[in-house]
Amino acid sequence: MFGWTGTILRVDLSEGTVTREATDPRMARDYIGARGLGGKIITDELDPATDALSPANKLIFAPGPLTGTFAPSAGRYEVITKSPLNNVIACSNSGGSFGPELKYAGYDAVIVEGKAAKPVYLWIRDDQVEIRDAAAIWGQDTHDTTDLVRAETDEDAKVACIGPAGERLALISNIINDMHRAAGRTGVGAVMGSKNLKAIAVYGTGAVKVADPDRFKAAVMASRQLIQAHPVGGAGLKAFGTNVLVNILNQTGALPTRNFQDGFFPTADKIGGEALAERHLKRPKGCFSCIISCGRVSRVDHPDYLGFGEGPEYETAWAFGADCGIDDLHAITKANYYCNEYGLDTISMGSTVACAMELFERGIITTEDTDGVQLTFGNTAAMVEMVRKAAVGEGFGAKLAQGSYRLAESYGHPELSMTVKKQEMPAYDPRGVQGIGLNYATGNRGGCHVRGYTIAVEVLQNGAVMDPRVTEGKAGLDILFQNLTAALDSTGACLFSTFGIGGGELAETLSALTGVEYSLDEFLKAGERIWNQERLWNLKQGYTTADDTLPERLLKEPIKTGPAKGEVSHLDQMLPEYYSLRGWDEKGVPGKEKLKELTLN
Amino acid sequence: MIVKYFATIRTYTGENARQVDDPPVTLGPLLETLAARYGARFRRAVFAGDELSPEIIILVNGRNVAHQGRLETPLAADDEVSIFPMVAGG
Repeated sequence: MFGWTGTILRVDLSEGTVTREATDPRMARDYIGARGLGGKIITDELDPATDALSPANKLIFAPGPLTGTFAPSAGRYEVITKSPLNNVIACSNSGGSFGPELKYAGYDAVIVEGKAAKPVYLWIRDDQVEIRDAAAIWGQDTHDTTDLVRAETDEDAKVACIGPAGERLALISNIINDMHRAAGRTGVGAVMGSKNLKAIAVYGTGAVKVADPDRFKAAVMASRQLIQAHPVGGAGLKAFGTNVLVNILNQTGALPTRNFQDGFFPTADKIGGEALAERHLKRPKGCFSCIISCGRVSRVDHPDYLGFGEGPEYETAWAFGADCGIDDLHAITKANYYCNEYGLDTISMGSTVACAMELFERGIITTEDTDGVQLTFGNTAAMVEMVRKAAVGEGFGAKLAQGSYRLAESYGHPELSMTVKKQEMPAYDPRGVQGIGLNYATGNRGGCHVRGYTIAVEVLQNGAVMDPRVTEGKAGLDILFQNLTAALDSTGACLFSTFGIGGGELAETLSALTGVEYSLDEFLKAGERIWNQERLWNLKQGYTTADDTLPERLLKEPIKTGPAKGEVSHLDQMLPEYYSLRGWDEKGVPGKEKLKELTLN
Repeated sequence: MIVKYFATIRTYTGENARQVDDPPVTLGPLLETLAARYGARFRRAVFAGDELSPEIIILVNGRNVAHQGRLETPLAADDEVSIFPMVAGG
């Protein structure tokens, strides 16, 4: 095989066995890799009723065919498992260098099964795989874990690990690779913790084989030039990072503020990319094979919030900033560092703190619940303290680390959790941007922006301009983005390469690499297949059209201030067309014709 | 009228915002006036020839001028204009 390595590694931590199997070429062709391939393995092998935190769950680390090649920004991999947060197929995407190393070691996927009797880590060096004792590193944060594992294995090994939050099975815990990169969402860290698996270290001496080197090189060079020439891919993201979005969303009136109580935050400029560049940025940083370099190497010198690391990204600055009514960038950056070091998803963590703040301000919880902390919006010290508590599992923090849905529900007010399918919504207010609301409601993993990022067109003018306030055309837009993203996520390329290239370039690059011909249509069809596969799994979990919705606040309570004052989400005007265009019935169930067309059982 | 600048636009203007008294009634002449003030880099950022640059995002009261007539977008004295270069995603 070309592009794909042709080998899948299977590790059974209960039995202590390691086996190798061949990658099925037809499965690889139809599901591409990473997200699609991992989802297919889960669909085929996992009983849908499996408890996500039981040894029966499977935890898959899967790069894509492009991962590890010199295709632009081709450093991504996915962590795929059944989510303990909301039972969906969690496919959490991450960058850095870990994914390429899996390819060089020779693997299209590493499937971890069972549970070790005591904490262990995996050491993968090409075809040598060891399950090693992790007693010395259990309890360590992700940075120390990475250093200690490398010292015991190889200083050039790439490491993915959980922090104390994943060890404690926190439902919003993540997996951190290369110290500062996160497979962030849907609780994948907890699954790793439930298997007593602290880390995976990998080192590979192989290479990715290319079917047609001349064609591949031409495709790669053409793609790189397009990205370089693009204002965002070529310059904007490097200069300011994703955090530059704070001001544009705020000026659009769609920056969710104080737990989505409003859509405008007057002091937003203090926490945006401009402020970050001025005050905390040391230098930009890119992942493997990436010229975009959106990463921020940063540092805080404020005595109360000292720290060094990477970030914050836009989502993080929003979650600990506007969503909590906070405009102190030092504190926000410190909260970000806690999350990276202890292994917590910043979106879910910040949104959960915001939910707690609203519960507190409404008197539903008091200082008796919050360990004496005055947990009000805008209380900077309280926010950082709560994140620290959540990170180490102390007192009220331990509750927060289970996410806002369970928090709010436990106090009798689930409607104050700003979630869809129990996962916290990211930093775009659906009342100000209609299409992203439809994406939140229909997203296969719950509240998520990144797998149907209509913001690119509704706000950022990337490729086209659509009015964020209207509903016309949004169903079609969402479907296109969702299908394309599912295919792209499965290749191992980074989503940000779409600031420059599109499905056509990706299909060509993939064809030249693998020797399997993908037309643009076939590439998008694979994406549609992967999307429907995830949907079918959700239906088996008991999700229905009633769950394709948004919190009542967004449907009924207008934005209070700012440019989008008075707006609500008109999801009901978009959802029926969305189902229809997808070839689903009015209950959102894929029709037989559609499943046949996509060759899904 | 207040005109606000973001990201790299701030480096061309040297300031974050400017109060404009008695603004022109449409966007085109406003941008001309600002370009005359701030110079060539600003001009190149907002104009592509005689047209609005495709790489600039301009909001009037939070609405993209692409939906309001581009350079013909009407302006009122108490409007808020925000000028962004094409920015990031995420």
